[in-house]
Amino acid sequence: MTRLLEIRDVSKGFPGVQALQGVTLELSRGEVLALVGENGAGKSTLMKILSGIYTRDSGTITVDGQEVEIAGPREAQQLGISIIHQEMNLLPHLTVGQNIFIGREPRLGPFVQERALRRRTQALLDELGIGLSATAMVGDLTVAQQQMVEIAKALSFESTKILIMDEPTSAISLSETKVLFRLIRSLRERGVGIVYISHRMEELRQIADRVSVLRDGQYIGTRDISDVTDAEIIAMMVGRELSQRHDDRPRPRRAAEDVVLSVRGLSTRTLLREVSFDLHRGEILGFAGLMGAGRTETARAVIGADPMTDGTVTVHGKQVRITGPDVAVRHGIGYLPEDRKRHGLMLEQDVVFNLTMSALRSFRGPAGFLRGRKASEVTDSYIESLRIKTPSGRARVKNLSGGNQQKVVIAKWLARDCDVLIFDEPTRGIDVGAKEEIYRLLADLAEQGKAIIVISSELPEVLRLSHRIVVMSQGRVTGVLDNEGLDQEAVMELATKNIDEGAAA
Amino acid sequence: MKNTRVALLSMAAATALTLSACGGGGSDELVEDPAAEGEGGDAAAASGESGGAQDGEYDIALVSKGFQHQFWQAVQSGAEEKAEELGVSITFDGPASETEVDAQLQMLRSAIERQPDAIGYAALDPEACIPLLEQAQEAEIPVVEFDAGCNTDIEKTIAKTDSLAAGALAAEHMAELIDNEGKVAVVAHSQINSTGVERRDGFVNKIEEDYPDIEVVDIQYGDGDHLKSADIAKAMISANPDLKGLYGTNEGSAIGVVNAVNELGMQPGELTIVGFDSGQAQIDAIKSGVMAGLITQDPQGIGRATVDSAVKAIEGEELPEEIDTGSYWVDQSNIDDEDIQAMLYE
Amino acid sequence: MTDTTTTDAAATSTAPTAAGPGWRQSLGQRLQQALAFGTLIALVAFFSVASPNFFTISNLSSILLATAVIGILAVGTTFVIITGGIDLSIGTGMTLCSVVTGLLLTNMGMPLVVGVLGGIAFGALLGFVNGFNVTVLGLPPFIATLAMMMMAQGLALVLSGVRPIYLSGVPGFQQIALGQLVPRIPNAVLILFGLALLLGIILTKTVLGRMTYAIGSNAEATRLSGINTRRWLLGVYALAGACTGLAGVVMASRLSSAQPQLGMGYELQAIAAVIIGGTSLMGGRGSILGTLIGALIMSVLINGLRIMAVQSEWQTVVTGIVVLVAVFADNLRKRRAEGGGPV
Repeated sequence: MTRLLEIRDVSKGFPGVQALQGVTLELSRGEVLALVGENGAGKSTLMKILSGIYTRDSGTITVDGQEVEIAGPREAQQLGISIIHQEMNLLPHLTVGQNIFIGREPRLGPFVQERALRRRTQALLDELGIGLSATAMVGDLTVAQQQMVEIAKALSFESTKILIMDEPTSAISLSETKVLFRLIRSLRERGVGIVYISHRMEELRQIADRVSVLRDGQYIGTRDISDVTDAEIIAMMVGRELSQRHDDRPRPRRAAEDVVLSVRGLSTRTLLREVSFDLHRGEILGFAGLMGAGRTETARAVIGADPMTDGTVTVHGKQVRITGPDVAVRHGIGYLPEDRKRHGLMLEQDVVFNLTMSALRSFRGPAGFLRGRKASEVTDSYIESLRIKTPSGRARVKNLSGGNQQKVVIAKWLARDCDVLIFDEPTRGIDVGAKEEIYRLLADLAEQGKAIIVISSELPEVLRLSHRIVVMSQGRVTGVLDNEGLDQEAVMELATKNIDEGAAA
Repeated sequence: MKNTRVALLSMAAATALTLSACGGGGSDELVEDPAAEGEGGDAAAASGESGGAQDGEYDIALVSKGFQHQFWQAVQSGAEEKAEELGVSITFDGPASETEVDAQLQMLRSAIERQPDAIGYAALDPEACIPLLEQAQEAEIPVVEFDAGCNTDIEKTIAKTDSLAAGALAAEHMAELIDNEGKVAVVAHSQINSTGVERRDGFVNKIEEDYPDIEVVDIQYGDGDHLKSADIAKAMISANPDLKGLYGTNEGSAIGVVNAVNELGMQPGELTIVGFDSGQAQIDAIKSGVMAGLITQDPQGIGRATVDSAVKAIEGEELPEEIDTGSYWVDQSNIDDEDIQAMLYE
Repeated sequence: MTDTTTTDAAATSTAPTAAGPGWRQSLGQRLQQALAFGTLIALVAFFSVASPNFFTISNLSSILLATAVIGILAVGTTFVIITGGIDLSIGTGMTLCSVVTGLLLTNMGMPLVVGVLGGIAFGALLGFVNGFNVTVLGLPPFIATLAMMMMAQGLALVLSGVRPIYLSGVPGFQQIALGQLVPRIPNAVLILFGLALLLGIILTKTVLGRMTYAIGSNAEATRLSGINTRRWLLGVYALAGACTGLAGVVMASRLSSAQPQLGMGYELQAIAAVIIGGTSLMGGRGSILGTLIGALIMSVLINGLRIMAVQSEWQTVVTGIVVLVAVFADNLRKRRAEGGGPV
């Protein structure tokens, strides 16, 4: 029997760079193939070739034994290839049904038959076991639910045989991931072939049958998931053995007890209730919790990006009123946002521009002139000390990899010399090798006396980094734990604690 | 059905008349000077005036093309002068700029809804106004037009400068000044509205018919914008080094030409400039010799004739199809004459 | 990724005068400027061949003078557009400022300097109000400045009493625009180039310029970097407003009068010049030099078509086409530069 999809020796070059070189992949019916590789390994290029956005330079692609040319997204669809992108392409002001059948609405002359549309949508959702209403507004759904809509949309094309998912869990919570996996398994049973792109090893173990690895545009190999260890996969990805010191937790903090930042009774209009915590000098304080628990909201309220309705913030023993991020910075608090690209960086600008943003004051000469040489020297020193991989300070930030972008954001705050650094999802979208580097960097910063908050959805990360852990659920702090002999289960228990029972009063 | 409507309408008209008559009673003392001295002697008819004064105040709504431009202010002052003389009350309205056709139509609509005794109207767009004038006709409000007409037969008359004749007059003087030969060009203010078109065509046709040795090398449109017209004129002068004359079809266009000549550092008289309309800057340019002369209309005369014929229309008098209020050549020789001065608005 | 490396090489080799990092332009911007400059040269060459009367000192001087008012508006509003905003009030705002200058110089009999500075300061005030409405009241720039456009038009009429204010009696006033400190070059042109130089320096070398780019690139990221974006935006709008005021003074000087009914439509010409010059309406990208070239392209084009006696209506059509082509070429270039894929 022929394979569902075969990619043979596909190459693709761009001016000055070979993005793919002789890549080969095979996908069978009813199989989940994990595709892994560091950022820039060529995964996106390969996906774009499959979806018809790029055309390959050489090699062949066969679907069901037929050699095909994929000239554009429409052709890809006709061949049964559907892609669920990391960034979703849904229209928030339309309903689930309107989104799924957009451009293909059942019509009577010029009129859309809303009722038929609703019926077909509901039938599709039920068949896939997605518990959503056809008439719900997409803008009201959670990220995970929107992902389900995307999947339903992909499968609403009768012809869909091949589903490509690009980091589908990067923005959704653990429980939502479970629902997603259940859906993937049912698709597998229906004979759909799935290419699953992800960075998360433990997910691959749960869902994938085989794993293919790309590195620097080259095909490295494919293994049955049951035959390899995580370390082996990572070694294939990075091309060397990583020092796997997994239980590398920081030693519990010694008793340097000067509190740098103290928050008491912090509340906001919609979510936060009575959030209190202390942050010490030289400490990494982890914030754990599910999506929507209020971790990011806490950070944003502390720095004044969102208004707080109640509570106090004390910095170095002095109570302060922080009305905006500019005031927060003046008190030495820097925030590194969760969504680097949207809130942390100016992608079109270069490294120097981004890196000097927060500390611009110190690069200001007479009459508001910028001191260019100083800015470039400082930038170069950070490029060196943080080992930011960039051709130079003049490179546009959007051309850097996720890890290096994150380092630019970190350097931006180091240049400002803040005492308190709040990292929101510091390693999201960053590949394995770079993650370790970021971890080491955070530990070093704490060692040097910075007070650090790390917000992360990945429990292993929180456990790996933090001296103490604040666990939140439904806008409240449900526990503050010393990270000594702590396991994921203990944290999860607090993170899933239903507040309404006890603390409602 | 139709009969009831007519009845209702005439009732409404009657009510309006009564109301305006009542309202006017108190201000009769304002109309103390009914003496009809002849102004230009064009359309003033003693019978009309006295009739107006005796019936109490008629209400006449004038919808003009604008109110900012000095020209329209002069029309307004002429109209007000005549209104006071005849003892009628007028309103004078116009859009902020001459491109605002819609705004003007809205004003006309409100004027009709007010049910005045007569409407005086200057059309910005000769077609768009037709339905509204039909509406006025149905409401039995007589309409007289001024300056620019609407493409209907509803109006009783139109008081305006014969722009074709005015353009031809400009051509005659231009030809005389450049000794009947050479190249000339036109900076016009509009290729759409009728005054712009007629002032241009009157000029161009006259040259073509009577002056075979004069060539109109270029016609461009500056929208009456001083700055744009200046830049146009400069380009024309650059393009035609042997250009002998430039004709600007309204104040903005003509001042643009004057500015162009000044900016290029040309000597007064090096290029023959013929302007149109009036205004301080043009008067100065004539006095300093930069501009050879201009064609002026009699805007106050237009205002007077409009009000005068509106009153006649109310009283059912026969009116000529068109009242030409005249156009006049102004140059250094006659600019200080009294009767010319009366037509030069600033 | 690849173009960044070349950018760097190009930057160091071709622009030794440019200051340190961060303030040099990206290759993309450079390309766009080269494209615009090439277009300008091509237009000049074309018209020079087409008509012997185009490439004369007197006509070139006319072209430069014709660029002055729109150019001054355009370089100022470039700042606003780089922040991702738009200012529709610059046309009528300019007129209002010329009326204010006119009143100061005639009705109030103020000295020349006061009249001129008063007009500029009033422009800055208008800009400040725009900035206030955008930042503090949170109105979209389009709406805030649309409202200001109407208010300025009305106020210009009200303050002037709906008639021109003649300034020929004010000694020295006309020299501001039409005097010739440099032979054959009217002062208005020097003002435009001087202003462009000044604004170019502000945009590329000062904190205000940096903030202009930052806000346009990503306003939220700028705010989260601890920057008071409101304050800087106010500054940007006020700066653009001051340029509006200056344009008003230059226009009044050129016409020897303040014409209260003019001005509407000038904002679109200025914005067109900015766009032809490669500044993105999405913000974050643009340059003063580009805008200057854009303004020159527009006036060369119009002047050339006039010299060739092309009908007015076709002149407008051709200008529209040039705007389209400029934006399309820019998009094409961007797609090339960014379609390079991941590395």
